[in-house]
Amino acid sequence: MEERQYDLIFICRPDTPEADIDKVIATLESTAADKGAKIESVAKWGRKRMAYRVQKLHEGYFVYMVIKTTHGEVVKELERRLKVADPVIKYLTVRLDEELKRQEKLKRHRERRAARRPRKAAPAPATPATPAAPIAPPTEQSAPTA
Amino acid sequence: MAEENAPQQQSHGPSSGGMRSSGPGGGPGGPGGGRPGGPAKRGKRNFVRKKKVCRFCVDKADFIDYKKAEILAPFIQERGKILPRRMTGTCSRHQRWLTVAIKRAQNIALLPFAAEL
Repeated sequence: MEERQYDLIFICRPDTPEADIDKVIATLESTAADKGAKIESVAKWGRKRMAYRVQKLHEGYFVYMVIKTTHGEVVKELERRLKVADPVIKYLTVRLDEELKRQEKLKRHRERRAARRPRKAAPAPATPATPAAPIAPPTEQSAPTA
Repeated sequence: MAEENAPQQQSHGPSSGGMRSSGPGGGPGGPGGGRPGGPAKRGKRNFVRKKKVCRFCVDKADFIDYKKAEILAPFIQERGKILPRRMTGTCSRHQRWLTVAIKRAQNIALLPFAAEL
């Protein structure tokens, strides 16, 4: 199975100490390692205002991580961990590899098209030059003979 | 007086008859009805409509990130509804990606489902 990429975002209560958040991240990392997944990056977005109330809270501590794995079941386990973790109030996992693949494909397509465009433009100035060339040599030839 | 009245009546007669004949001849609505309507409409339509361009096409976006709420925010109404294409000018492909991105952002509380009062 080819490698999949997931985005995992979870929101903790805003009053949780940093150490508890690190603990949650550590448990996720260990479970991911057990199941053969790799956590590519972890980014703490910090305290942010949420767009709507969650468990009567207006603010939350956002943590964002990128996971790469060949086993999709890892996500199930990670989400179970998040569900039972006390400070976590909300989480979301999104599979992104197919969209990234599409993005790359479109990008390649665009680059190829951009590369083709100057080649199309090049012949146009070249064609007027060629008829001019035959006219020029006779005059040059005639000049030396004369 | 009687002589004067008679020609007046006569003159009225043919003119009214002409009107009647032109009515059915012009057909339903008639050209007479259409002509005053046409210029008026054209006059009203005189303003120049700015052509809407898909903002993502201008940026050559291959991917719309659901994590960037500030990019998605202009495409939702104040109460949280997703704006239709006819309002924003987004092309169909980007609108499809945009809706997915907005819905994901809603799920992780970056954008509201419905604004609170």
